Amino acid sequence: MKLSNSKIQGLAGIARNRSLGQLTGVIGALVIIFGASCFISENFLTEYNLTIMARDLAFVGIVAIAQGLLLLLGDIDISIGAIAGLCGVLTAKLLVDAHLNPALAMIAGLLAGGLLGCVNGLLITTFNLNSLVLTIGTQTAFTGLNLVITKGRTITGLAESVTFLGSGTVFGIPIPVIFMIGVFLIGLFLTTKTVFGRQLYAIGNSREAAKIVGIKEQKVRVTAYAISGTFSGLAGILMAFRLISAQTSIGQSWVLPSIAAPVIGGIATTGGIGSIAGALLGGAMMGVIGNIIVLGRVDVYWQQVFNGFIVVAAITIDSLSRRIGKK
Amino acid sequence: MIVLHAKGITKKFPGVVALDKVDLMVESGEVHCVVGENGAGKSTLVKILTGLYLAEEGSLYIDGKEVDLRSSHTFRAVAYVPQELNLFGDLTVAENLFAPFDKAGLNAVFFNRKKCERATLPYIEKLQMRVKPNDIAKTIPVADQQLLQVARALSNENFKILILDEPTSSLTKREIERLFAVIDILKKEGKSIIFITHKLEEVFELNDAVTVLRNGVVAGNARVKDITLDWIIKRMTGTEIDLNQLYRPAKPLGEKILEVNNLSGFGFEDVSFSLREGEILGFAGLVGAGRSEIMQTIFGYLPEKRGEVVFRGSKWKFRDPAYSITQGLIYLSEERKTHGILPHMSIRDNIGVLLQRKVAPGGIIINKRLDTKVTKKVMQEYNVKAASSEVEIMYLSGGNQQKVLIGRTMEAAPRVLFLDEPTRGIDVKTKEEIYRIMKRIAEENRAGIILISSELEELIKCANRIITIYNGRMIGEFQENQLNMENVLSSVIGIARARTNSGGENEAIK
Repeated sequence: MKLSNSKIQGLAGIARNRSLGQLTGVIGALVIIFGASCFISENFLTEYNLTIMARDLAFVGIVAIAQGLLLLLGDIDISIGAIAGLCGVLTAKLLVDAHLNPALAMIAGLLAGGLLGCVNGLLITTFNLNSLVLTIGTQTAFTGLNLVITKGRTITGLAESVTFLGSGTVFGIPIPVIFMIGVFLIGLFLTTKTVFGRQLYAIGNSREAAKIVGIKEQKVRVTAYAISGTFSGLAGILMAFRLISAQTSIGQSWVLPSIAAPVIGGIATTGGIGSIAGALLGGAMMGVIGNIIVLGRVDVYWQQVFNGFIVVAAITIDSLSRRIGKK
Repeated sequence: MIVLHAKGITKKFPGVVALDKVDLMVESGEVHCVVGENGAGKSTLVKILTGLYLAEEGSLYIDGKEVDLRSSHTFRAVAYVPQELNLFGDLTVAENLFAPFDKAGLNAVFFNRKKCERATLPYIEKLQMRVKPNDIAKTIPVADQQLLQVARALSNENFKILILDEPTSSLTKREIERLFAVIDILKKEGKSIIFITHKLEEVFELNDAVTVLRNGVVAGNARVKDITLDWIIKRMTGTEIDLNQLYRPAKPLGEKILEVNNLSGFGFEDVSFSLREGEILGFAGLVGAGRSEIMQTIFGYLPEKRGEVVFRGSKWKFRDPAYSITQGLIYLSEERKTHGILPHMSIRDNIGVLLQRKVAPGGIIINKRLDTKVTKKVMQEYNVKAASSEVEIMYLSGGNQQKVLIGRTMEAAPRVLFLDEPTRGIDVKTKEEIYRIMKRIAEENRAGIILISSELEELIKCANRIITIYNGRMIGEFQENQLNMENVLSSVIGIARARTNSGGENEAIK
């Protein structure tokens, strides 16, 4: 009896560090790939290249955190890129056509993001819909709204007073990266230090058990969708500033990385497992790999094949390590 | 002639001996009933005979020849109909019968629907099913689904023994008659049937042989014509409970805290009872009798239909679990794994998630110090064995998980506590710990506890009073001085109702 108890405790000790252990896995892989990249190309470890990488990561990082929040719930939002695009276009429209105060225009864009997230959340929870299926629908609708607003044309003429938020730097750090760090800290705080975060994980672990401990499932899920939408909106607005124009295509390519990054970083698509830090690390790993593929002069047509392969490999490795962890 | 002889079968699970040297002898052409309380070992025995579990000791003889308990060949002679229907709901009767199709001589490259459906007809005729081969399985009546399940077992033509695990639990009286008619036909063909049941009257209807299991041992076996109902009940309940080993709250009961008047909901009708402060009120009944549904309805987890509940003197509003918890009503589910623990979260998170008000005074940010304090308190007071509070709860033993759940519930200071099978799958030592905790909660915190359990012994040991539920209705209520196994068991399996009804007087029901 004594023996079996200590055995259980030993097992549990390993288990306790599992979430951290998964992060060390991602961190380790990131370090190795980063190190290897330094050897593959001498252009990798230059200030110019690192700045480019960091700026790219900023956008992927923000949407990965936005998606990560929902994945922790066991939900998914395919419309995340469409929300970003719509918010970017909306803010640009307010600035260029309505000559709104930049701060107000940005706030309006962020609110729109939150609102669109709310719409998703409310539809899903009220009618008990599958989030994947519903957001495929709303993605199309949001993209359509984008085209209604722009008539398919790019909105140009953004003033430099706002575009520096997308393309400028502070002490050499691209401003979008600073925004990303802000989003990350908010995400980390929400998920680890608040009642809301605990409830988020609880719902992801078991909706039924969460309900029985008195968690208002709908409230928590809709809130998460709203926060996630706001973050996506921010990414879209910053992207518009960076491009100095709001193109209708903003966000279209973000859906896959927003899902792949958290999964690579150890967030389970079934919910309840993983951390926001993992989402960011996963995004960083994808960024570094994408970058070195370009620097390594891989044929441009093959790049996408590589990217896809890396996502598949990361997910497979994660699943295998989980299975081994269980044994 | 003896067709199946299991000898000295022993099966252990961590902390419990599920079967202890069990012998079972089945003759050819007989219906051998196996009866016993929940947890007596009926299902475990079936799982060993069908090769789902491996016994630690014992041997099995089929037609006098010893067979290897590990070999899948052994089980060709045994056809099995599980308790839970496991049909492919969206496939046809014919497809259900023969899937996987290679076993049915239908193993051509292309699936021949006509041929498959033709092959179904003899089974439909034999079992007198009222279906067509191309009916979709989920659309046919439950009784026919049950028969289809039987037909599937029969499609293994070499079988000698058919095991039916509680086949009548979801059937109506007429449907049961049809099933019994089929059993008769099989008997005449010389096949043997092992019939697991809770309903003792069926043992007498089938009128062949019976083996009674109690706590993993054979408590008796006999030809049914030689015995009476009391004979079976005596053996099922066994020895008297040790009255020195009781956990009933001993302090005088307080005010009436919960009063339920004619409550109806999903799975139960017209239930009325009341609960006092400091009392443990037991609910006995068969699995599926509607006990959990009653409590979940009061708790706000399931919607109510009719009736009223009075809680602490005022009319109870049925809302949702969140509201009930703030009012002091807490429900602990019988499904610990799916409706209890949050498996991938730490012990700390599992505790804190119920105690938001305590650990986050402002309602938003968790106060680490308070959180740690309450986590430590629960783990110490309820003797939770774990390496640290940060361990994912899924890595704890069932008993320790349950102690975490009970502990956090107590920290929420409930006025009424619904404990649904709180000791299921838990070892004996931890069980007793939980009994002591329940007693303490009732005596010291003056909470009213409703204890649902399928173990009568547990109920009798712990409860001040027991209510029995049968098919969603209250059929009996037993005061402290009436609590004994035979009384309660007869009521649980629905015999008392027949008796009291015929007797005119209805003493048991208040």
